[in-house]
Amino acid sequence: MNRVGLQYLAGDLSGGNARCIAMLQAFQEAIRDYSTPPEKTLTRDLTSKIGGFVSFLIECRPLSMSMGNAIRFLKSRIARLPLTLSESEAKTTLCSDIDRFINEKIVLADKVILRHAAAKIRDGDVLLTYGSSCVVEMILLYAHELGKQFRVVVVDSHPMLEGQKLLRRLVVKGLSCIYTQLNAISYVMHEVTRVFLGASSIFSNGTVYSMVGTASVAMVAHAFRVPVLVCCEAYKFHERVQLDSICFNELGDPDAISKVPGRVDVNFLDNLTDKQKENLELLNLKYDATPSDYISVIVTDYGMIPPTSVPVIVREYRKEYLLI
Amino acid sequence: MPDTQALVNDFLNKLKKRKIEGSQATAKQTAELLRSVISQTRMPYTNQASALIHSVKAVGERLIAANPVELAVGNVVRRVLHIIREEDLSLTTAAMAGLNLSAESDDEDDTDRDNHPALSAAAIAAASRSTLRPPSLQTLLEDVPDSAAVPHTSSSGGDSEGKSKSADKSSRSRKLKHDVIEAVNELIQDISTCRELIAEQAVEHIHQNEVILTLGSSRTVLEFLCAAKEKKRSFRVFVAEGAPRYQGHLLAKELVTRGLQTTLITDSAVFAMISRVNMVIVGAHAVMANGGVIAPVGLNMVALAAQKHAVPFVVLAGSHKLCPLYPHHPEVLLNELRSPSELLDFGEFSDCLDFGSGIGAPLLHVVNPTFDYVPPKLRRA
Repeated sequence: MNRVGLQYLAGDLSGGNARCIAMLQAFQEAIRDYSTPPEKTLTRDLTSKIGGFVSFLIECRPLSMSMGNAIRFLKSRIARLPLTLSESEAKTTLCSDIDRFINEKIVLADKVILRHAAAKIRDGDVLLTYGSSCVVEMILLYAHELGKQFRVVVVDSHPMLEGQKLLRRLVVKGLSCIYTQLNAISYVMHEVTRVFLGASSIFSNGTVYSMVGTASVAMVAHAFRVPVLVCCEAYKFHERVQLDSICFNELGDPDAISKVPGRVDVNFLDNLTDKQKENLELLNLKYDATPSDYISVIVTDYGMIPPTSVPVIVREYRKEYLLI
Repeated sequence: MPDTQALVNDFLNKLKKRKIEGSQATAKQTAELLRSVISQTRMPYTNQASALIHSVKAVGERLIAANPVELAVGNVVRRVLHIIREEDLSLTTAAMAGLNLSAESDDEDDTDRDNHPALSAAAIAAASRSTLRPPSLQTLLEDVPDSAAVPHTSSSGGDSEGKSKSADKSSRSRKLKHDVIEAVNELIQDISTCRELIAEQAVEHIHQNEVILTLGSSRTVLEFLCAAKEKKRSFRVFVAEGAPRYQGHLLAKELVTRGLQTTLITDSAVFAMISRVNMVIVGAHAVMANGGVIAPVGLNMVALAAQKHAVPFVVLAGSHKLCPLYPHHPEVLLNELRSPSELLDFGEFSDCLDFGSGIGAPLLHVVNPTFDYVPPKLRRA
């Protein structure tokens, strides 16, 4: 558990799916190592233990929406354990439940999304993606394996510069790529035929919550009449409603803005006097909310749905996995 | 003339190598260069205006060709040409009004400086009818048999064709040059002080407790905001950093040194923050004839976001940035790509930059444009 928390803190582990899987696997280990103290029931004690772990993780880095949903799933499974089960049986049941969750909701869901989305890619397309989303990466590689001819535009932004990692992985596999920064997006958007974006979560009013800058990409794509496809597994949907990016967000390290890695000529913000520092604030937002009118379609494991159908999925299918 | 030739070549080199930063500096140096060209031009007795115009045009065309993206050069050249024509016209009206003597009709672009000295009385009478009329199809067609070249105005603004009459030719020639150089000096003065004039209007636009967003760094915007601060308006500024040049960092540093509350945000956060902003103020590289703006890269995105949230988008530009051309496909034709090393480190990515996949085309392209085009409908003022 400590290891995972420290990985979050260091930023080694990023991306909604990766974090969620790592967290669930850590929970599995914790459950296996757990033994009920005397005089306490398994369910209550385990739930409070899990709660303790969660607070530790929150200290390292605030939870993503997908992690929140996974934790709720786990707690509800624990609560539904029949009291007649022995401790070891309970533990194995929980571990297998977690395995099934990971398998169905993430791994298999991704495979379904791949098939749907790859059908939308035609020969000669120019696809744009922003930042580094594992689902979008899988889609691009899968379509390339299917033999489709297309080019990819990877758009990146300071300070995370995640796009560079994605770029490297794509070029190694032989995809033809164009790399640019977020500011140049009006320049490249003329040539682009489709935009593929990943999401951290999607809210009930169709607003997409994802890496900061996605809203700008979707907006410019909409202005140039380019379809925007958001690829997101259904377990990330949330029944909350969020109107803009300020109400609920995560702040990153402010110093990350002032440092530009690898370029010594632009470090203007070194050596500030105190008087200067008191007037200057550095704001490093991690997420932003894209309004649903910029999104053309959402590709999920339940199919391709318009943004208005998100609350339907949340309502109808949320009950399902609580009952498995 | 060899003196000015050296100056011209020097300036051309600087333009080609992009050594001059900023349209104000470019405009000023262009004006100064043209001033020295004018003072060095040998003036024939007759048709001085067109001699001046010819030499300025020759130099101007070379300058524009050296750096077509720097529109301030072309703007200044056209303004100098306009000054010449205006001064010529005003001198002629003075002469005409004062003396009303023999008239000599000059046509703007014709090259027959050889056959002017003595016109017959009939020609003079005919010419006096056509003097002082702005160029119209009739006047142009009247002179077609005389002149070899078809008079035409270039795509620039020059309107008043100077019809020059001379009573006292030599003193007039001196006077023309003198007047033109004075006017060019005024132009240089204007270019230098444009920022102060813009900044004076700051107080009308910025009110108390406003939040202002800007991207990258523009000296005009800096002075604008500081002028408002001087007048005791309290407001906050959000500066977007403007990757990949990160000029926003510079601007933020300047602003905090002058005591303004500043927040530095990433470009990606612009859409997120714009709902909390009252006004967007940016500088421009050039303003085109249809009202569209050539601005540093990223501003189209900001303008779209501002339009969506109904936030006023204000562009500050000195008069040397106003260009009479209409943009056609401005993202490509009026744009420059900078070095990709600003985006990717060559060392790290050397494996990806190899030619791969057998078809010989490189797999990786890096795009780093300098400018963005903001269409006129996104701009409020």
